[in-house]
Amino acid sequence: MLTTILLTAVYLSLFIHMGLIAVAVWRVWRGENVVDRLIGVDVVSTLFVAVLVLLALINRDSIYIDVALALAALGFISTLALAKYVADERMF
Amino acid sequence: MMETILQLVALTAVILGTFFSVVGMVGFVRLPDVYTRLHAVGKVGVFGVVLLLIAAAAWTPLGWGRAILLIVLLMVAGPVTAHALASAAFRIGLHLKQPVRDDLRDV
Repeated sequence: MLTTILLTAVYLSLFIHMGLIAVAVWRVWRGENVVDRLIGVDVVSTLFVAVLVLLALINRDSIYIDVALALAALGFISTLALAKYVADERMF
Repeated sequence: MMETILQLVALTAVILGTFFSVVGMVGFVRLPDVYTRLHAVGKVGVFGVVLLLIAAAAWTPLGWGRAILLIVLLMVAGPVTAHALASAAFRIGLHLKQPVRDDLRDV
């Protein structure tokens, strides 16, 4: 009984996160300025981490968490590099 | 009994995390300038994903080790990214909309 409720909540949360990714991609497409679009890219990467964690909850398999770890680290580094590029107009 | 408690923890964490993600994205769409949007988007990274990870650690055969590693990574990465993006926005000359007080106006 409780397992069914939990699985329903996780599936519902998965669909909500898909909708949030669509909203964030729309903000990247129609952003006001470059920093706004960078925030959109950063939040898309964060929401993909959330989707991978939800897939781990659905399949009860921890391999998705490793993928989420790599994706979180890559998103962090790329956002930092792009923010520095926007601020200084050079990467290094 | 233990199974039931872990399932209740996971259910509460999933619902709360989804709520924080939705609130953060509503703020991202509705707020007026870059700095306030950055403030709203911070909630998605620090509260939304961390609560989902607590649910995953409670209900999947994952163990707390990797979950805590990912939680620490997200909690370090969120403020650092927000700071870098706000600094970039200030450097290219974006200003606050309707500021009550702007200490960096003449810098």
